[in-house]
Amino acid sequence: MDSFDLIVVGSGPGGYVAAERAGALEKKVLLIEKEHLGGVCTNRGCIPTKSLLNSAKLYSHAQDGKQFGVQAQEVSFSLLDAMAWKEETIKTLRGGIEFLMKSNKVQTVFGEAQFLDAHHVQVGDTVYEGSYLIIATGSSPFVPPIPGSTLGHVLTSDGILEIKEIPSSLVVIGGGVIGIEFASFFSMIGTKVTVIEMMSEILPMMDGEFAKLMRRELKEVDFHLGCKVEEITPDSVLYTDAKGEKKSIAASMVLMSVGRKPNIQGLEKLGLDIGRQGVVVNDRMQTNLATVYAIGDVNGRSLLAHSASRMAEVAVSNIFGSKTMRMRYQAIPWAVYGNPESAGCGITEAEAAKLGIPVRSRTVQMRANGRFLAEHGKKGAGLVKVICHAQTGAIVGVHLLGPYSSEMIWGASALIEAELRVQDVKEIVFPHPSVSELIKDACFQLDHTL
Amino acid sequence: MAQQVVMPKQGNSVESCIIVEWKVKLGDKVAVGDVLCSAETDKSTIDVESTAEGVVLARLFEEGADVPVMVPIAVIGEAGEKVETVAAEEPKQQEAKASEVSASVVEQAPVVAASQAIGASPRARQLSASLGIPLSAVQPTGPKGRIIERDVLSAKGQPLSPVARKQALEQGIEAPASGSGIGGRVLASDLATKPVEPAVTAPVSEEVTEIAVKGVRKVTARRMMESMHSTCQLSLHAFADARALKRLRAGFKASKPELGLQGITINDLVLFAVSRTLVQFPAFNAHFLGDKILRFAHVHLGVATDTAKGLLVPVLRNSELLSLKQLSEGTKALIGKCKAGTAQPDELTGSTFTVSNVGSFGIEAFTPVLNVPEVAILGVGTIVLKPIEDEDGDVAFVEHIGLSLTMDHQAVDGADAARFLKALMDNIASIDLLLAL
Repeated sequence: MDSFDLIVVGSGPGGYVAAERAGALEKKVLLIEKEHLGGVCTNRGCIPTKSLLNSAKLYSHAQDGKQFGVQAQEVSFSLLDAMAWKEETIKTLRGGIEFLMKSNKVQTVFGEAQFLDAHHVQVGDTVYEGSYLIIATGSSPFVPPIPGSTLGHVLTSDGILEIKEIPSSLVVIGGGVIGIEFASFFSMIGTKVTVIEMMSEILPMMDGEFAKLMRRELKEVDFHLGCKVEEITPDSVLYTDAKGEKKSIAASMVLMSVGRKPNIQGLEKLGLDIGRQGVVVNDRMQTNLATVYAIGDVNGRSLLAHSASRMAEVAVSNIFGSKTMRMRYQAIPWAVYGNPESAGCGITEAEAAKLGIPVRSRTVQMRANGRFLAEHGKKGAGLVKVICHAQTGAIVGVHLLGPYSSEMIWGASALIEAELRVQDVKEIVFPHPSVSELIKDACFQLDHTL
Repeated sequence: MAQQVVMPKQGNSVESCIIVEWKVKLGDKVAVGDVLCSAETDKSTIDVESTAEGVVLARLFEEGADVPVMVPIAVIGEAGEKVETVAAEEPKQQEAKASEVSASVVEQAPVVAASQAIGASPRARQLSASLGIPLSAVQPTGPKGRIIERDVLSAKGQPLSPVARKQALEQGIEAPASGSGIGGRVLASDLATKPVEPAVTAPVSEEVTEIAVKGVRKVTARRMMESMHSTCQLSLHAFADARALKRLRAGFKASKPELGLQGITINDLVLFAVSRTLVQFPAFNAHFLGDKILRFAHVHLGVATDTAKGLLVPVLRNSELLSLKQLSEGTKALIGKCKAGTAQPDELTGSTFTVSNVGSFGIEAFTPVLNVPEVAILGVGTIVLKPIEDEDGDVAFVEHIGLSLTMDHQAVDGADAARFLKALMDNIASIDLLLAL
């Protein structure tokens, strides 16, 4: 029987990073993947959606170029070409991960993993033995049992990435990150998009003021908030609105994006402690079995690719490394890559109120910024909000809506991780002209003293 | 002209003393030789006498402060004289003194070091010395610009977030060595919050008394850890026939008072046997210094002594040359001084082998911790009855004394230790013959 220091099941941004890091520490590592290296992120999530959104944004900018002195004629969008570019990107990235595994001497096996016990995993007819096991099996789209949800035109984020034709109308059920990104994409390429959200606002992690602006900026998208979908028929979606009235919208395609569920099937034999969110782990990513760790979506703690990667590092550190690393959740940034982009890190004012943390905040308009003005004009919409602790001045939240948000937000993570205060951020030099300067501007609005 | 009185030097091994109690107040008139304060060295209490005449103008340290030797502790001058004037004139004084050929020890006190010392807490100074961080490189955040321990820690690189630093300072919370932030950065949430005043209805809380680790306790703690960290300790246990010991002890007790032998104890007899046995085994009357071993011609016996302040080890010099009576009297005198807290620092250093006796508590055997850099230490246990089979096959219960020898395996081997312990057992069993030699 082949025996390993570490067996990793699942090769998404949690699993492959765990394998890579352990391999770099010269451990004998086996990585088991049932489909493609890279998991949902590379193949059916982060990357393909960014590829498609970029195509749609180019299309959109080409149509809007006149005011900037660019006139394009007969601009059209080819879904097939956009899909081909997306596929090319995915293949290149998969190749990159394959190279990473080879260069770190990680053995890769393709097939469905069967968990025999905490130290044995079977793939096909072969049983592998591992001193440690990292479960990184991820999550799958959750499809609620609504009548009609199994109809052919009802797709999840998996299926909608494979479509061949642009739908004339799309109803997106669920206004979370996935729903809003697809809503933005399809509205840019000419589909009539409606978002039905059960809560009173889209994007629950977003500051309320920002979510409202986001809805306004997604000009071509209709939003129905506080609504409950009752049934899906072959050509429409029936729902009850906030007032309790029954309504229906025509839909040639329906995207079901109400959430994701952890992939815990097959773990039964291990005797793991599994909660409602997923496999229960401590802050070292260790399960109730000392040698079994669970990282990424399967533990349900933070359903983000970069959280999974960080969890991978924390797990490997606690297995083979310094053993001092603990997972911290207070400064994990998120981003929504629609048009406009948005990103955030830390808490919102609403969360602060719930937690009883006294805070102060300032919001600045992006149009006050030189670079933003040059590229988007006086009517461009964008916001930057900085939230600090009312007493200590420590930055506890940064929220961005507008171009480059996803590329700027790591800075906010650094500020929050380092527990820097408004007065400290004021001493940092930001590049000019850049949209990021607005973070400093907001800090000076919070505290103008020198 | 105001003068500074420094913490006097106490032997060669004492680096600092803790001020236990000030005996004078500001404004008191003092003469040369008057006691200014009592101070605790590593192992005993001393009186610090004034080296100047006049009025006490300043006490530079609080009670409890750990002050390095030769650092000024008080300023004596004329009534009404301002202490600041003293500081301002220090450089001049130094210049003047430099030209004096017959400068006394007190006058040689480094004035510059003194002014630095006042700007830092004792803990900060100790830490900076142990970490090798000059105080000049430390950013003070303490009251009145004083350098405190956490300043040295942060100069060392302990990352405190700005919020944590401010909170620690404001609330007087000591920051942990590392926290839960990036790279062990200490965040505000890592600071222990100050205990909240218990509410009237609060359940009965556990009572905890906090005792600062200082003085003898601190020295013992450091020395014991040093011992465990720097040596390879191995203990051998044996029992020696104690009939001769008991017989002699009974004889001494019943002897005429004018002979002065009544006070000779079992322990004195064991010490006597040890001092004689060590002469035969020079490898055990030695210091292990890593790259070399020092063997001593004379046996300077350390006698572990339990005092109110903690463990002290007075040293009985040249014990192998002393008669049993001399040895007994010398030991008694030393132990008396230790218990009274008047043992001089030089009476507490320089042992070549140590004996620790806990027999009076009924302990049979234990593993004494080496008094580094010594190569071995003997633990003496209580006297117990052991069944011994004689030549006729009869079993008799014979009194035996417990002996536990801990040795540093870096310096000697197990067989060496076994041979030494066997010889000691034999010498104790026939202690009456040994006395005749």
